[in-house]
Amino acid sequence: MSKLAFATIKELKEKLEKKEISHEELLDFFLKRFSEHDGKIESSLEVFDKKSILEHYNAEGPLCGIPGVFKDNICQVGRIASCASKILENYRSTYDATVTRRLKNSGALILGRVNCDEFAMGSSTETSAYKKTKNPWDVSRVPGGSSGGSAAAVAAGLVPWSLGSDTGGSIRQPAAFCGVVGMKPTYGLMSRYGLVAYASSLDQIGVFSRTVYDSALVFSTIAGHDMQDSSSLFVNKKDYTANLTGKLKEGLRIGVIEDALTAQGMDSEIASSIQEAVGVLEKLGAKVKKVSMPILDYSAAAYFVISRAEAASNLARFDGVRYGFRSKDSDTLHDMYLNTRHDGFGQEVKTRIMVGNYVLSAGHAGQFYENAKKVQRLIRREFKNIFNDVDLLIMPTHPMTAFKIGAFDVNKLQMDLQDYFTCPMNLAGIPAISIPCGFTKKDNLPIGFQIIGSHLSEELIYQTAYAYEQETPWHTMHPDGF
Amino acid sequence: MIKISRDEVLKIAQMTRVSLHEDEIAPMIKHLEGVLSYAERVQEIAADIEEPSNKNVNVFREDVVVKTGAEKILAQSPEREDDYFVVPVIIEK
Repeated sequence: MSKLAFATIKELKEKLEKKEISHEELLDFFLKRFSEHDGKIESSLEVFDKKSILEHYNAEGPLCGIPGVFKDNICQVGRIASCASKILENYRSTYDATVTRRLKNSGALILGRVNCDEFAMGSSTETSAYKKTKNPWDVSRVPGGSSGGSAAAVAAGLVPWSLGSDTGGSIRQPAAFCGVVGMKPTYGLMSRYGLVAYASSLDQIGVFSRTVYDSALVFSTIAGHDMQDSSSLFVNKKDYTANLTGKLKEGLRIGVIEDALTAQGMDSEIASSIQEAVGVLEKLGAKVKKVSMPILDYSAAAYFVISRAEAASNLARFDGVRYGFRSKDSDTLHDMYLNTRHDGFGQEVKTRIMVGNYVLSAGHAGQFYENAKKVQRLIRREFKNIFNDVDLLIMPTHPMTAFKIGAFDVNKLQMDLQDYFTCPMNLAGIPAISIPCGFTKKDNLPIGFQIIGSHLSEELIYQTAYAYEQETPWHTMHPDGF
Repeated sequence: MIKISRDEVLKIAQMTRVSLHEDEIAPMIKHLEGVLSYAERVQEIAADIEEPSNKNVNVFREDVVVKTGAEKILAQSPEREDDYFVVPVIIEK
């Protein structure tokens, strides 16, 4: 049965259409996958009961009967959305996020909610108030983060797809760590209505899957304009699988970001497997050139400032008055706020919103926030200039493979710097996919690389990623023991 | 290197509406100093350019009431009385 566990959505759809299996049997199968295997990796926060999952079943639509899971910061009506935080432990959403509504309409079955870093703040899923999710390739290691549960569940064959969110790398880094495909869309292409906000100008919902085709398929059901999100772009729904021919665009020009490959701390095995990936694309007909982006050295700093500032503002709403956790035994309203937020938020969240209030405060806003916004403009300009010369960019998703649980408990700044290669795209608002490109020889851990495009170049990114994938075996490899 | 004083961290905590216990103050200072000292590099290259910071424009839609049902929302409050949220005293005696 493990063949079914690692079947692609495309294959599962065929089985359903040929009536080799019914949607209920498929649901039973994947619920059993969770009960048998999730104990090893602890990806889920809640697996829903069969009856309530089927309440939303819609026999029509492109994902009819295909099970998936959601990161715990995306609203589903009647379900808890805790953001892996104690402060929202019992919060039940009163409405569906736009992506939830669209997936339900497409016939997809939502099996549960999966673990993440608290309020999506972290790079290892260790800041969750509930549990530490493990990497299916090595359970002594983290799955990455913040969407670690979404990546681990897909990598372990517990579901064929999941949703995550990416503010500075939270889809792409865990995708790379777990050896799966993770897509971060153009800012504004995916509705944020019903996504609990971390840094609103950077947050995007995106898809995890084991193949590029499956990613494009799920993406097609949820991308596109939404009136409920005022930052939503006026882009119609599209079929992002249409261009997946296995061929590259005629005359495709690719730039390899040289600064990233030679960056300090870059694992040599990762650098060489990305060189090999570039070689594959060249063989397929791409014109490759080296490009330099020295400004990347400043993007993590700009990202720290902008994301923390927005987080401080967004998380001000959690006050213990209207919903969620309230600390008991406070004599005054003011003390109730202080105690509720002290006891309800974890350490990482408190630190980030403290940083945010510092960089926004009188006397520091000019030095930090305003300068960070200027650097963001420089980053946007630099990408725009480079995309006059090349169609797509390639760089590592991450300078190292999945690290051990607890590795950065002491050195917090190193943990913060996990976003180094991924946050520039959030700052520029451009799309990027992370796809598998090999395994390390020393410890058999997955390696991923990013294909980055200009605004709304998702079709070109998918076309290129698919062509690469068809030439390589990485998407067919799965962790032992699942 | 950014230095944060004890008074400063308590002031930020106050703005953040979060209490800091005595044993949490020193680690918080250390963490804030680390992040801010790194973030400070934005001022090295910050420059005014024409590039707009984003392409967003104001989006308007009809202001239509969508009824969710107050009960579902009130039911989630930590403490309530009828249709009101209950909070501890606002003005100290």
